[in-house]
Amino acid sequence: MKKNIKVIERYNVQWKHRIFIPAIIEGLTITAKHLLGNVNDINRMDVLEYPEEQPKDISGRYRGLHRLTHREDGGVACVACFMCASACPSECIFIEATQREDGVDEKMPQRFAIDTLECVFCGYCVEACPCDAIRMDTGIFSLIGNKREDFLLEKEQLLSHRGAFANENSIAKSGVASK
Amino acid sequence: MSLGAVVITLFSIVLALLLALLMIPVLVWLERRVAGLIQDRKGPNRTNVLGFRLGGVVQSFADVIKLVFKEEYYPKHIGKHEWLFIVAPSILFVCALLGFMVIPFADNLQLGTQSYPIQALPVDWGILWYLSIGSIGVMGVLFGGWVSHNKYALLGSQRATSLMLGYELPMGLSIVAMIITYQTIDFNTMVAWQSDTIWGFLPAWGIVVQPLATFIFIVTLFVETNRAPFNVAEGESEIVAGHMTEFSAMKFALYFMGEYIAMNSASAVIITLFFGGYQLPYLSTNDLFSHFDAIAIVLMLFLPIFIYYFIRWMHKNNAVNRTLSSDGGRAFETKVLTYTLIAMSLMIELVMVYLIMQPKESLAVGLGVMALQIAIFIAKLMLFNIFFIVVRWTLPRFRYDQVQKLGWNYLLPLALVNIFVTAIVVVALGA
Repeated sequence: MKKNIKVIERYNVQWKHRIFIPAIIEGLTITAKHLLGNVNDINRMDVLEYPEEQPKDISGRYRGLHRLTHREDGGVACVACFMCASACPSECIFIEATQREDGVDEKMPQRFAIDTLECVFCGYCVEACPCDAIRMDTGIFSLIGNKREDFLLEKEQLLSHRGAFANENSIAKSGVASK
Repeated sequence: MSLGAVVITLFSIVLALLLALLMIPVLVWLERRVAGLIQDRKGPNRTNVLGFRLGGVVQSFADVIKLVFKEEYYPKHIGKHEWLFIVAPSILFVCALLGFMVIPFADNLQLGTQSYPIQALPVDWGILWYLSIGSIGVMGVLFGGWVSHNKYALLGSQRATSLMLGYELPMGLSIVAMIITYQTIDFNTMVAWQSDTIWGFLPAWGIVVQPLATFIFIVTLFVETNRAPFNVAEGESEIVAGHMTEFSAMKFALYFMGEYIAMNSASAVIITLFFGGYQLPYLSTNDLFSHFDAIAIVLMLFLPIFIYYFIRWMHKNNAVNRTLSSDGGRAFETKVLTYTLIAMSLMIELVMVYLIMQPKESLAVGLGVMALQIAIFIAKLMLFNIFFIVVRWTLPRFRYDQVQKLGWNYLLPLALVNIFVTAIVVVALGA
């Protein structure tokens, strides 16, 4: 048993490290500097007064609340292929497909719901989607509700979210791409 | 017992209770605020009553209201030991509170020929009381961990036990050195001893006379009060919350508040033993009485200056970021507080003028000196509490076996050597 224990020699352990006190004093000086500086001028800290000030530095790659993109004519871009629901690790996407009568495409979702309480915001659905129909580029980082049902986002809500960055409509299903 | 004695005793008890209990919300708030400021955050500063935030200290009262109204929950597996589940945190809380009761807040008050100590518990063996009561407080941690029937809780209380074995010896031995030096076990006599000077210019505070004992005592008190860097019994990153794992609502709050009272008591004992207690350096109580007029005039001159700078500081810092459009009523609060502070300082100035006109032997001057000493004591107490807090947010936690090693291998021999040296010096000086 003993031969399996590998003892690693500590290097450069000086006397002043062994008695801790110089290091402790050094550390206390650093924290005391921060403390006194901030007590002297509390607004020198770079903090966000959150509810009044909203963050302005959300990048385009931020995975916020989901949205369903539109076509050029304003219709839903989703073709109800179930790729996102299959890719979803937390199984929180509920799709009911229906026939599309207007000839624009073959299928569309009758119901498209995301349970955001189950969702882990991994972004796999966005990557899986062949139609660029679901995206997480809304920049919305907080969702507020009074009961559980409020967090089950239906198709209409998902369609109503606007993208916070470029490309409002689906690239795959826009007029240019379909020709 | 005369009326004066009754009044003074009641006053001391109320003062001690206020200092211990009212300090909890302040300390909890201070801990969070100081932690924030050290880490360049703001800490809790938003809770308010009628728009008055007072820097956020209202937060602690909101927390207390929340804890009081939480469900009183007992885990099923503790079975018929529910009573012990309540007793355990109470032991810690009560012991911490009782330990604070022997601290003298001011020098003995002379009423006619009688002199009355300003201690809630007027005993002349205060240090023994503090040592014994402080050690019983660990029982609360032990019981709490044991009745929880939870491995984390048990580990926590087991750690507390072995730590107690580790730190009690050096702590007691460093106290022995102080007792040899002061040749008394009475806190008030110790403070009086420290009002002297050594070699004519150094204040004879315990830290000057006995730096080693001071160091050992402060380190061991950090262990006893279960504060970082020695909060291994709690050890939140290893054993959830240690002995407090199964406790919720007010039972948890009792543990939590007990720790802050213990910290407060520890600060009080440290300043009483080593930092001159309620005294300023070079100013013994007799000096305060004989030069009362001069001291009062100096104070009257310094108070407005201090208040002026405090108000300026408040105007600068009781404000929100300039990026915000609304200041949320900060300007109004600052205005009200400014007028309150000016009125208060005017009142103090008037009281001083009245005291200067009194004869030196009068009761009024005695009370004035007492108030001054209490103020000094509270200022020192707050400073030391902040030191405790800053240390917590600076140092990483010692590993459990490292604390043991520190206690047994280093502090204990140091404390023993210190006793021998102290005894030799005291005998050599022919005290």
